Amino acid sequence: MAELLVAESLGKTYGTGEAATRALFDVAFTLAEGEFASIVGQSGSGKSTLLNLIGLLDTPTDGRVVLAGTDTTGLGRLGRARLRNDSIGFVFQFHHLLPEFSVWENLTMPALLAHGHLRAEEHARAIELLRLLGLEGLGNKRANAISGGQKQRVAIGRALMNRPRLILADEPTGNLDTGNSAAVYALFREISASLGTAFLIVTHDRSIAEQTDRILEVRDGTLVQDVRNAYGAPTG
Amino acid sequence: MPETDATTREIVQTDADAAPPRPHGLLPLRIAMRFLKTAPVQTALIITGIAVGIAVQVFVGSLITSLQADLIDSTVGSGPHLTLLPSGDATAVPTALAGTARSEPLVTAAIPVRTLSAIYASGEDSVPLSVTGGDASGIDAIYHLSGTIVAGTFALGENEILVGQGFADTYGVAPGDTLALLLPNGASGTFTVRGVFDLGQAAANERLAFVDAGSSAAALGMGADQYSAIEIQLSDVFASTAVGARLAAATGAKVVDWQTQNAELLSGLQAQSASSLMIQVFVLIAVALGIASTLAISAVQKTRQIGILKALGMTDAEAGRIFLWQAALLGVGGTAAGIGLGYLLIWGFSFAPVAFSITPKASFVAISAAIGIGVALASSAIPARSTSRLDPIEVIQNG
Repeated sequence: MAELLVAESLGKTYGTGEAATRALFDVAFTLAEGEFASIVGQSGSGKSTLLNLIGLLDTPTDGRVVLAGTDTTGLGRLGRARLRNDSIGFVFQFHHLLPEFSVWENLTMPALLAHGHLRAEEHARAIELLRLLGLEGLGNKRANAISGGQKQRVAIGRALMNRPRLILADEPTGNLDTGNSAAVYALFREISASLGTAFLIVTHDRSIAEQTDRILEVRDGTLVQDVRNAYGAPTG
Repeated sequence: MPETDATTREIVQTDADAAPPRPHGLLPLRIAMRFLKTAPVQTALIITGIAVGIAVQVFVGSLITSLQADLIDSTVGSGPHLTLLPSGDATAVPTALAGTARSEPLVTAAIPVRTLSAIYASGEDSVPLSVTGGDASGIDAIYHLSGTIVAGTFALGENEILVGQGFADTYGVAPGDTLALLLPNGASGTFTVRGVFDLGQAAANERLAFVDAGSSAAALGMGADQYSAIEIQLSDVFASTAVGARLAAATGAKVVDWQTQNAELLSGLQAQSASSLMIQVFVLIAVALGIASTLAISAVQKTRQIGILKALGMTDAEAGRIFLWQAALLGVGGTAAGIGLGYLLIWGFSFAPVAFSITPKASFVAISAAIGIGVALASSAIPARSTSRLDPIEVIQNG
């Protein structure tokens, strides 16, 4: 499969001089289009730092990120904002919905950010996402008037809205019960299979990681393991 | 372990920063409106704050302007703004000076007059009168007497006189009565009262009187073409000094300027204008601080939302524009309400027992509105800047 993401000798150091802290060093890997992978590691291992660098929310102090064929090294804040909007969908542990807006508005916000209004195909996609995520009939509800599970599903729909080639999910089920967690991962799988979207899921829970096709393990700021996982591989 | 192979990859270094702006300038406006709508109490408070400030600005500014206009009108509205007198030892001014004066663009009227002092004796009392003699229509152009007649009619035939209401009341004089005046030539003249005027000033109503041109010429021993002064009115009373200087240079006549004769009044008016300006400036500073602090609080309250929007792809400029739009909406709303409130106060003032009314000038109200909106926009600079600099990672990491 074609390469979607290339992380090349990535390093991140916070602070300078004696106060400098290296959170990540020399991390290198590639992610193919449609790949379903996870990053595991203990709290403080550097996995979220890695996700922030890949998600263009932060800039590396060493190395570079190439996303969808674009070398992001020379991009400023504007360029990174646009590439985020076009190519990446985020699902956070805390759903991070906008409480002032309705479910529909939250769902379609990435499309509105892209070109100011909803095109016909985006409108149809948003309706389809509501159906796919079991949120039919909730479109007009305020985002803070729905349950936690529903909020996380809206956040997933929002991540999918612009048909990104990569979904970055940071502990996406950290605040959900077991039933809702299983439903979310089943949904991720379904989306990846049907739309060819690559997933990179950050988790500290190895049992969740083992449901993905590939596990990248980060320990003390370095990538210590990169294994293909037969357990979660789609069968048939 | 790593699966990178840089030699086989096709990497494109795009210049996304230089790409044309995306066509969604109105999304920040929509977000700004939603932020305001979902904080109705805060929005209402800030709009009220701006409205009160602008209302004070419109009311105080219009009050002072109208008060000063009324004072100036009372002082020199019915009288000459400039008087040309004979220079040197001459006792008369050439009537051609009136034509020269009329060629000045700001001069609305310039008439030749004869001025004299007379004494009216009533029993043991005697009172000096300042008498102006001239053509009735000319006198009306300077003193606007025709609209101030409270008894009798405005006309000046031979040996007829117009007197003020104060004089008429004090000495029991009415139209049709005859007045015997002691004139400068030592002779006694008899005049028939044709009308009684009220110029709105006690001193003028007590001391001024007007007679026809022929009677005044006889009293002063002047010929028919000899006049003691040219009296001039201007469309802009404050241009009198400049116009007077030009006329003095052009004619050589001695010029009397109302501003020189009313220096204390003008000084008082200037002090009043300065204090009014101070009040308006401080009110606007208070409004600006109110808007800035409220927007700063709003920016802090919305940090999380801005961070999320940025993570989703909102640019720094768009994020900053949200608060610029908020300020613009608050500024326009508050200013419109303020102007309405200002006009309401002015309407309320019309019931006050005072001798003048406030007439707001459209240009002043427009300037006040522009200042109100401008102050609101300027107040958004700090929150807009801090918002545009916000890093989404700060919000995402902190949950």
